[in-house]
Order: sequence, then C-alpha cells, then structure tokens
Amino acid sequence: MDPGDVTLFERSLGDATRRATGADLDAALDDLGWPDALIDDPQVAVSLLFRLQGESGATSSSLGRVMAHALGLADGSTTVLPAVGGCAPPGTVDDGWLRVDGLAPATLPDRPTALVVASTIGGATSACTVATASLDLHPVAGLDPDIGLLRVNGEIETVGSQVDVPAGPWPAAVALGRRAVAHELIGASRTMLDLACDHARGRIQFDRPIASFQAVRHRLAEALVAVAMAEAMLEAAWLDPTPDTSAMAKAVAGRQAKTTARHCQQVLAGIGFTVEHPFHRYVRRTLVLDALLGTAASLTTALGVELVDQRRLPPLLPL
Amino acid sequence: MTGDGGAVDGAAEGLAEFRTDLDAWLDGHTDALAPGFEGAGTLDQQMAQLAKVKRLVFDAGWMRSGWPQRVGGLGGSTLTRAYLGEALTARDLVEPGLYSMTEVLAPTMIDYAAPELAAAMVPALLRGDETWCQGFSEPDAGSNLAALACRAERTDAGWRVTGQKVWTSLAQYAQRCVLLTRSGPPEAAHRGITALFVDMDSPGITVRPIGTMHGSPEFSELFFDGVVVPFDRMLGEEGGGWAVAMDLLPFERSTSLWHRAAFLHRRLQELLETAPPGAIDPYRLGEATQLLYAFRARSRATQHRMAEGDRLGPETSIDKVLLATAEQTVFDLIADALVAEVTMGDDPVSGRWRTEYLYSRAASIYGGSAEIQRNIIARRLLDLGDDR
Ligand SMILES: Cc1cc2nc3c(=O)[nH]c(=O)nc-3n(C[C@H](O)[C@H](O)[C@H](O)COP(=O)(O)OP(=O)(O)OC[C@H]3O[C@@H](n4cnc5c(N)ncnc54)[C@H](O)[C@@H]3O)c2cc1C
Repeated sequence: MDPGDVTLFERSLGDATRRATGADLDAALDDLGWPDALIDDPQVAVSLLFRLQGESGATSSSLGRVMAHALGLADGSTTVLPAVGGCAPPGTVDDGWLRVDGLAPATLPDRPTALVVASTIGGATSACTVATASLDLHPVAGLDPDIGLLRVNGEIETVGSQVDVPAGPWPAAVALGRRAVAHELIGASRTMLDLACDHARGRIQFDRPIASFQAVRHRLAEALVAVAMAEAMLEAAWLDPTPDTSAMAKAVAGRQAKTTARHCQQVLAGIGFTVEHPFHRYVRRTLVLDALLGTAASLTTALGVELVDQRRLPPLLPL
Repeated sequence: MTGDGGAVDGAAEGLAEFRTDLDAWLDGHTDALAPGFEGAGTLDQQMAQLAKVKRLVFDAGWMRSGWPQRVGGLGGSTLTRAYLGEALTARDLVEPGLYSMTEVLAPTMIDYAAPELAAAMVPALLRGDETWCQGFSEPDAGSNLAALACRAERTDAGWRVTGQKVWTSLAQYAQRCVLLTRSGPPEAAHRGITALFVDMDSPGITVRPIGTMHGSPEFSELFFDGVVVPFDRMLGEEGGGWAVAMDLLPFERSTSLWHRAAFLHRRLQELLETAPPGAIDPYRLGEATQLLYAFRARSRATQHRMAEGDRLGPETSIDKVLLATAEQTVFDLIADALVAEVTMGDDPVSGRWRTEYLYSRAASIYGGSAEIQRNIIARRLLDLGDDR
C-alpha cells in the first residue's frame, strides 16, 4: 500500500473501531477489506487494526484470523487461541482423541467450525477443523468481561473425521500473534497516557494545574518513555520478524503497559479509580492482553533461561 | 508500505556495501588496529589508541564516509559513519565514550562555524590528529546551563574570555574547545550566550584534571584568564550560543550514543561466556537484554531519521533515558554476576569491569541528567505546559 492508501485505511479503521465492537466490528472489517489487506500487507493490516483496537477498547475476532493467516490457513475460519498465559497449541492429539483447552472470540458460536492447532505425541503440529457444536464454550468473565473471549474445551474423537489441515509452523503464528497483541497493548497504553495528560492539564489543586507539579510531570514522562520503548522494540520486530524478536516485543509491550498504567493511575487518582472514568477499562484490558500468548514475566524469564543455556546473545538488529 | 523511493533504498544499498567492505578491511588489519594493552588500559593509552585507530580508518577512507565533502568527507549517507562507530566498538578497538565526542562536536562545527573554519578544522578531528572538548558546564551552571557566567567581552583584538568551566571531558588532551560564554548581561539568560571555538594553547588557559570515581580522569577544570579569541572563531551569531547548544545536545543524547548498544552487547556476551554457573539471574538477564534491544531499536530509528535529513530535537531525550536505563541495568546485572571480579579482582579484565560498571553510573548524569530529560519530555513532548 502506498502512504496515501495507508492513511485512508487507517482513518476508516479508526472510525470502525470507535463505532463498533465484537461481531459488528468483524462485519465492518470485512466491508473495509481488512482480510484482503492481511494477505497483501500483513504489517499494515495488523499494526493499524490492533493499535486502534487498543486505543478504543474495541474487540474483534481478528487475532484468531491473524494466526490462521500465519499458518497458511486463510480460509476465514476462527482459530482457537492458546489458553491463558500460554503459547502452546490449544489442542493435543493422543490415541485418536483431540483434547482442546484454549480461548476463542465470542463470535465463535456463529461459525459452524473452528480450527484447532494441536500438538501430537511425536512433537509435530497439525490443525484440525472441528464442529463448533462439539466444543464446550464458556464466556470468560474475569478481570475484563468486555474483551469478549470464550473458554474452549473439548474431547473429540479424531478417527476418520476431522483431520489434519496441513499447517505452517506454529511458532511463526505465535510470533505474528504476539506482534498483534503488542500493538494492542501499545494502543491501550497510549490512551491511558492521553487520559492522564488531559486530566493533569485540567485538574486544579493548590491553585495550579496538577500538570505543573514535577512529581506528576515525571510520572507522565516515564510513561511516555515506556510507550516509546515498546514502540521501538515492536518496529524492530517487524524489521526482523523472528519468534525471538516478537517475544521480546510482546514482553516489552506488556511490561511497559503496566508501567504506564501505574503512573497514569497515580495521576488520575480518585477519578481514575471510579467506573465513571474510562481508565479502568484500559487497566483491565492491558492485564488480560499481557496474559495472552505469554506474559511479560514468563517471556522474560524464558529468554534469560535460553540465553544462560546457550551462552550466546542473538545478534543486534542491523543498522 | 514504505514507498520512500530511491533515496532510501540507495542509502541502504550503500550501507550494505560499506559494511561488507569495512568488515573485510578491519579483519585484514587486526594487528595494526589492535590496542597494545590488556583490559581497559590507562586513559593515556586509550587516547593514543583512539588517535591511532582514527588515523588508520581516516587514511583508508572509512572515517570520511558520511561527512560532507566541504569538511574533508566523502559525502554519502550518515548511516555509514554510524556503522563505522559500531564496528570499531564491537571489536573493542576504541573506548566508546571517547569516540562519541566526534559525533557530538563535528556536526556542530559543520552547522555553525564559518565554512572556511569548518573546512580547516574538522578533518583534524576526524583523522584523530586533534582532540576537541565541550566547555558548557560551570561550577554554578550544571543542569541550569542558561546560568553560565564565563564572560566574553568584545575588544578590538577579539573576544576576551574570563571565567571557569568544569567537568570538561578530555580538556587535558584537547587542542580546541567548543565554549559557551556569557556575552550579554546575566539577566539576558539564554539570550546572552555566545559560542566560541577556542584554541586550547591560547595564553591564559589553565587546565586542571579532576580525578573521577571510575579511575579514568576523563575530565578537567578549565580556567580562562583574559583569553583572546578572534571574532572569526564565533560559532553562530553573537548572542546565538543557546541555539548552538540546543542543536548540539540532541546529538549528544542520541546519535553519539548509538554505538554504545554494540558496546553493551559485547559486554553482555562476555558475561554469558565467563559468569560462573548459577551466577546470572535469568529474569534479570532477560530484562537487560530486552532493554538493550529496545534502546538499539530506538537509536536505529533516530539514525535513519538523521540520514533522511530530519532535524533532531527534544525527542532525543527519550533515546538518552533509554540508554541510561539499559546501560545501568546491564552493568547492575554484571556487578552481581561477577561480584568477585568487580569488588576484589586485581587482574586487568576485572579492572575493566569495575571501571565500566562505575562509568555506567554517569549515564544518567552526562548530557543532561535523567531528571532534566524528563523535564524536557514533559514540556516539549507531552505538552504539559510550564512547571510552575
Ligand atoms: C562523566 C561526565 C562527563 C561530563 N562531560 C562534560 C563535558 O564534556 N562538558 C560539559 O560541559 N559538561 C560535562 N559534564 C557535566 C554534566 O553535563 C553535568 O554534570 C550535568 O549537566 C548535571 O549538572 P550538575 O552536575 O551540576 O548537577 P546539578 O545541576 O547540580 O543537579 C544535581 C541534581 O539535581 C537535579 N536537578 C537539577 N535541576 C533540576 C530540575 N530543574 N528538576 C529536577 N531535578 C533537577 C539533577 O537531575 C541532579 O540529580 C560531564 C559529567 C559527567 C558525569
């Protein structure tokens, strides 16, 4: 896409994510040609949509689609996501049975089938198309009921029926999914920072805007550094889109979102603690997004363990 | 998606070729380039090494790439000179802090000196024939740079400078100094400042080195007693010294620190190779690595902005905060993992770990303290208005 087209696309996606969420946003994305954009220019499609979703707080079933795209399964089906906190395939195949433990968007019941990527005992991965009706679906309430996720469980006999769509490598799908979620975390962080800066400029105490107090200014500056750092890391992950860089980008985005939330919460103080102010939605959202496809904490430890083990740092991003 | 056109692709291609050729040349000249000492060496040794390496890479043409032809450069993308700094640092051929000064002071000379002056002076800095220093801070003007008091008075012979500077890095080695002086009344604050390019062998200058915590006496006190500086040594306009400083500081906070990522990468790699089993906390290693890669990513984006002709400004305060955070996190980890070496080791390599650990403490002080960077971010990037 040329820069002019990207700007137009961004504007349309911005309108859509502000107006619609859930199934309505899915429909709007279809109308806007987002699924085609995902094929033609995945970086533009993923980075714009997920940042805007993060900024507005809208949800869609796009994460599953993004992962399906990376697996080469771009047939529009919904891919079941890994269970909370994890990045292992949501399915395991053993002795003719497929066991499923994962997450899916709330729109899954509208679709006749779902795609479940499964690991087999031999360590291979395969993808199975299963009837939605054969899965147990429970809405996830938890910290952020608005995120619109379902818990997906099931035990399905695979013999002779739904078997083996050939799948591309799972780590690549996780990597692309992590970059998508990192964009969403950054979008949500940006909104938290905007909310806190607006508040700081307008709220008067001791006859001055609280934005004039250095303690407040430094917290907000710290939050901007956090967001900028996550953005830089994520941009690097697109330049060198490996599982390692994508995991780093997701970890940095998750940790920085918490840093941003902490500083902004303090600046918003009482009003930010109420449900009358939108801030709490973003706190909830970022905590749950951090838990998708590996938390910042677990990814950071895993990176360190791998480095200690191999005694070799990955190369720096070339100039 | 970029659609940036041929210029950028051309720069990328030029860079790839430069990288390959330079790497091959460096590999072919390892003996000539190698430092003749173990560990960190003394500051004298490091300075001699820096001069040697700069001369070799200048004479072979590498050091001239990315600098304008009118100051003895070969033109081409600024990315090439960034790669040179990185390649020299990654091979431990130059001390990264000392190398930075070129990337701080040469751009300022190119932008603000009269063309003949820049053409006459810059090549000597690039070739390592000369060392230059930056005389900004004073005993009563650190963070509040606009309070500087070192006087410059107009006389028939030129500016007559009287006053003091402090913490001037490498002044004891320097042939020249980029000096901020007060040419107007003190009340004029930042409007009454003039920048001068001063010969350090001018009569009336006294240089007194100051011992530093990390053991390498890198900076000095400078005393000016009626030092005469010709008018053609003015950088920018009379009273325009603040603009010079404001344009210099973004380089000091970003592009001149670019190669520190390569330095930190090398040290972290050495830690992985030498730390005793179980000495490294995996979470902290993971976090330090992420911070380093994020700093590198930010710094790379800034290099590309400069290469495309963007003017660097207050956003470089973010680069500086990221550098300080990454560098201190990396060396905190090193100091804990190599506690015996850092605290009690008496071999040269332990000495180097110790020196570099201590130097990392200054990363949140030099070039504007961490607090000053946050003040800039709040006022200029977040638009939070005045702080009073
Ligand atoms: C290794 C090293 C090399 C250096 N090299 C050079 C050089 O080559 N040339 C040169 O000119 N200078 C150099 N300096 C000096 C450096 O620029 C100053 O140390 C720095 O600007 C801080 O000034 P200061 O030390 O006077 O601290 P002060 O300004 O006195 O600050 C002390 C503390 O107060 C805080 N503070 C001050 N003002 C504010 C504020 N408005 N809001 C919040 N906190 C504030 C600071 O952040 C700091 O924590 C070097 C310093 C070091 C450590």
